[in-house]
Amino acid sequence: MYLEEAEARVETRPEERTQARPPLPSDRWQEFPHSAFSHHGEACCEIARQWVLAMDYAQLNGGELTSGPRWIRAKYKWGPSPWPMHWCEVVKRKVIDCGAHAALANEAFRARGLTSFPAQLVQRYSEAATEQWQGKWQEEDVSCHWLDGEHIYHEATALLVGDDEVKIWDGSAGSWVNARQQGSGYGSLIAVRIFAEGQYGGGDGLRWGERRLKPGVWNQIAG
Amino acid sequence: MRIYVSGLYSGGNPQPGVGIVRSLRQGFPDAQIVGVEYSNRVAGIHWNELDDLWIQRPWDELDLDRYADRVREALDAGGLWISGSDLEAMWLASVFPDGHPNLLAPPTGALKRIAKPAVEAHDGLPVAIPTYVSTDLPDWELHAFCRAHNWRVWLKGPYYDAARVPGWDVFMAARSALTKVWATDKLFLQAHVSGYEESVMLCAYKGELLGCVSMRKRDVTAEGKTWAGDISEVDPEFEKPLRRIVRELNWTGGGELEMVRDAAGKLWLLEMNPRFPAWVHGATIGGHNLPALLVQGATGVKARPAERQAHEFTRVVLEVPVRPEFPLPALPEPFAGAVGHSMKHPSGLPSLAERLHKADAEMIEIVEGEPSEKEADGKPHIPEMYLTDIGGMELEKVQTPEFLFLGKTAEGLFKRAADRAHRLSTNEVQVVSGYSIKTNPDERLIRLALENSFYGECISLAEAQKAIDVGFRADQIILNGPGKWWPEGMMPKERMHAVFCDSVADLDRCVAAIEAGEMSSKHVGVRIRTPNVTSRFGIPLDSPETFTKLVEAVKRLPTDSAFGIHFHMASSNIGVAGWWHLFESMLKWCKAIESLTGRTIEILDMGGGWFPDDWHSDDESKFAKAVETVRAMLPNVRQIVSEPGKAMAQPSMALAMRILEIQEHEEDYVEAVVDASIAELPMHAFQPHRILRQCGETGALQPLGRGKTHLMGRLCMEHDIVAANVSLPEGTRAGDMLIFCDAGGYDRSMSYVFGRG
Repeated sequence: MYLEEAEARVETRPEERTQARPPLPSDRWQEFPHSAFSHHGEACCEIARQWVLAMDYAQLNGGELTSGPRWIRAKYKWGPSPWPMHWCEVVKRKVIDCGAHAALANEAFRARGLTSFPAQLVQRYSEAATEQWQGKWQEEDVSCHWLDGEHIYHEATALLVGDDEVKIWDGSAGSWVNARQQGSGYGSLIAVRIFAEGQYGGGDGLRWGERRLKPGVWNQIAG
Repeated sequence: MRIYVSGLYSGGNPQPGVGIVRSLRQGFPDAQIVGVEYSNRVAGIHWNELDDLWIQRPWDELDLDRYADRVREALDAGGLWISGSDLEAMWLASVFPDGHPNLLAPPTGALKRIAKPAVEAHDGLPVAIPTYVSTDLPDWELHAFCRAHNWRVWLKGPYYDAARVPGWDVFMAARSALTKVWATDKLFLQAHVSGYEESVMLCAYKGELLGCVSMRKRDVTAEGKTWAGDISEVDPEFEKPLRRIVRELNWTGGGELEMVRDAAGKLWLLEMNPRFPAWVHGATIGGHNLPALLVQGATGVKARPAERQAHEFTRVVLEVPVRPEFPLPALPEPFAGAVGHSMKHPSGLPSLAERLHKADAEMIEIVEGEPSEKEADGKPHIPEMYLTDIGGMELEKVQTPEFLFLGKTAEGLFKRAADRAHRLSTNEVQVVSGYSIKTNPDERLIRLALENSFYGECISLAEAQKAIDVGFRADQIILNGPGKWWPEGMMPKERMHAVFCDSVADLDRCVAAIEAGEMSSKHVGVRIRTPNVTSRFGIPLDSPETFTKLVEAVKRLPTDSAFGIHFHMASSNIGVAGWWHLFESMLKWCKAIESLTGRTIEILDMGGGWFPDDWHSDDESKFAKAVETVRAMLPNVRQIVSEPGKAMAQPSMALAMRILEIQEHEEDYVEAVVDASIAELPMHAFQPHRILRQCGETGALQPLGRGKTHLMGRLCMEHDIVAANVSLPEGTRAGDMLIFCDAGGYDRSMSYVFGRG
C-alpha cells in the first residue's frame, strides 16, 4: 500500500463515526495499515534483503534468538523517511521512521525462525513534543499523519514467545515495550493493535503481561 | 524504640542505610534512629532523619572484642540493630552465633548457605546459577573456562567487586588486584548472563517471611547499580519456595536476591545478600515498607501503614548540610605524581574481610558448581605424552633457552586430526585438514602435515615454496591472505588446490593472473570478513554496498575453476561457542552469496586459531553436526577444509630455560631470573603455559602450581616477566631447568632475537 492510499484511510472526523462512545485516540488510525517494504523484483532489492537477514543473524553474537535486534536502531537512526520504501532504498538510508524499524525487525525475527507480527501503537507525549516532530517531518517534506495533538501513531513488532504470549519490540527505541505500564503519562502506551492471524488464547487473544490483546483490533491500554 | 542502622555509605554504589532510615522514619515516626558508621567520611551520616550517630573507628583499627561488648550492651538495652553491610552482618553473626532477639540480621548458618557463588540455599527457587569455577583451579583450566564462555566472564571477589575479563592479560591483572584488596585468592570466575536485572527483597524474623517485593531495574549507573526501578508483587511461584527457604535458614533481617532475566525469560541468581538492598526505600515508595515490617515483626509494635505513592521510583542527587559535630575530614593527598585521590573503602571493609576469613576460612570457601575434579593447588595436569617426550631427552645437554620438539606428541596430534577428518567424511563431502604454515614453519611439522594428508595453508609464496621444498605438490597448496603475491616471482607454475582472494582488488588481480596464465588453481574463491567480529582480513560484509561489491566481484571469477569461500577467526579469542555461532552465521552469508551470484560453493575453508584442548576434544559431535549443517545449507559443497591453526603446533614444542638467580623478598615473595625471556615466549600474556621444573637431584619433572614467585626474563626490559604467581618446588635453586610446555605455536613462530648480542 502506498502512502497516499494509506493517508486517505486516516480518519479525520472520528467523532462522526463513533457517536455511541467518546472518541478514542486510536480512532484516527482505525483504517491505517502497518508499514511494509516494496521489492523491485530485481537484484538490487534481493541483495538488500539478504544482507539484512544475514547481518541480523551475525549480530546475534551467539545470544538468544529472541533478543531484540538492537543493531538495526544502532545503524539506522530514527527520523523522517518517505514512503513507499523499497528494500534497496531502506538499507541505503541513514535515518528511517518507526514503520521501517518495525518492518525490518519483523523480517529479522521471522528469518530467525520465530513468529512475529506487525504492531501498531498509539502513544501519548505532549503538544510540545509533537510540535517539534511536526517541524522536523515538514522540513523533510514527509507526511505528519502520525501526529495528532499529544498523541502519536507508532509502529512496533510483536514477538510470539510462548503459545499465546507476546513481547512488543519497539525498534525505534531499541527496547521492549513495558507490559507493566500503569497510568497514561508522557511516553505511555494508549492503544495497541497486533496483526496476528489465528485463535490465540482460545479466542481471548494474545497475552501481553497481564493483559489479553485481541488481534486485528485496537486494544485500549490507558485512557 | 531505639534502632541502630548501619551501612550509610551513599556514593555511586551505595549501601542501604539511608534508605532503611527513611523507611523506618515513615513506619515509626517516633522511633529513635541511630546511624552506625565506621568512617566520618561516609556521606549518609549527615542524613537529617537520623536522631543520633554512633561513629566507630574504621574496621582496620577497631578492637573487635571491645566493640562486640558495646554492641551487646546496646542490644541488651533494647536497641534493635539492622545491618546495612554484608561484612558487618557476617561479623555480627560470629559475635552472636545463636542470634540475639534484637539483632535483625541472619545467623551464621544461613550466611554460609547463601555464600557466593553457589548460593546453596536457592534450591527450589525458579532460578539457575550462572556457571562458575573457583580460581583455585590451574590457570590452564581457568583459560579453558573463559574460552568456553566466549570470554564473557566475570572475576568476582568473595564479598564485593567484580571485574569483566575479556582476555587473559586482563584476567591476570584483575586477579592480582582483587587478591590484593581482599587479601585472599578465594576468587571465582562466573559466566556472564545477558539480560535485564531484577531483584526480590525480603524481610523475615526467626524464619518467618514477613514480606517480599520484586523490583526491576529501569535505569542503572555506569557500574550497573540501580538508579530507577519499578515495584511489583512477587510471583507466587517464587514466593512459595522463598518462604520455605527462609524458614529452613531461620532467617532474620533483610535480604535480597539479585537476578538477571535473560532474553528467553529464564531467571539467573547472581547472589543473595544478607541485608536490605540500597533501593529499599524505592519499595517503600511503592507501598512495601519492609524495614518497618521487620521491626514490627520483631517488636510487635505496629508500624504506620505504608502508602503507595507510585509503582516506580528513581534516585536524584541531593546536597545536604553537613552536621557541625562531624565536619568533613580532609581530602587525602594524591600520591606524589599520581592522578586523583584514593578514596575507596573509607571504613576499611577489606580489613574486616581479612580479619573475618582469618577467623573462619570456611566462610568464603567457594563451593564448586562445575565439575572440579582438579587439584586445588593450581598445579596443571601434564599430558602423559609430554612427559614421555621430554623424559626421553638428554636435558642436561640442552643449551637454554631452547625449544624442545615433542615428536611423539606432534605425531599423535596430526594422526588424530587425520583420523577425525576421515571419520567425518561422507560420500558427498570430503573433510580434509589444512596446516597453517605460519603457526610454525618447522620442517618436521610440515612433513607430518604432508604425511597425514593435510593441505598446506600458505599466506605467502615463501610459505608455499617452503611447503613444496618439504614435499608438498602445488595441488596440495591452498593460498590465501593479503600477502599472497609476495615475494614476487615465486608463484607456483602448476595448478594449486585453492586460492582465496582477500579483497576485491586481490580478486581482480587473481582473475587477471589466471587469464594471463600466471596463476592456476582448481578452486578460486573469496575470503569473507567476519561481520560483528573485528577483523582486517577478507572482503567486508558490513554494509549493503560492500556486500553488493562482493556479489559483483564473485560474478567475475573464472567459471572454469570451482568456487569456494574461506573464513577464519581465532576461536581462542572469541570463544568456542562464539566460533560456532560465527560458523552458522557464515553459512547464512554463503547461502546468500550462492543465491545472489548464481555460483555454487564447492569448497569451504574454515578456521581457525583453535586452542588445542578445544580442537582435540573427544567430543566429535559438534564437528559431525557441522558437516551435516554444511550439507543441508550448501548442498554443492564437495570439500570442507578444516584449518585448526595453532591446535596442531602449540603442543608440539616446549621451551627449556634455566634459573639464573633466585631473589627472596618479604612475605614469601620470590623473583627468579631465568635465561629465557618474552622474546622466546611472545604469547605469555595471551595464554597460560603449563610449566615443569626438572628436579636438580632426581631429574624428576614436577609441574608448577600457583604461588608467590615471579619468573623474570633475562632481558633488561621492565615487562619481561614470563610467568607470574607460580610456586617453585622446595629445593629449587639456580641452574635448575624449567620447561614451558605449550610453546610450539606462535611462541615459536613469532619469537624474535633480542638481547643476544
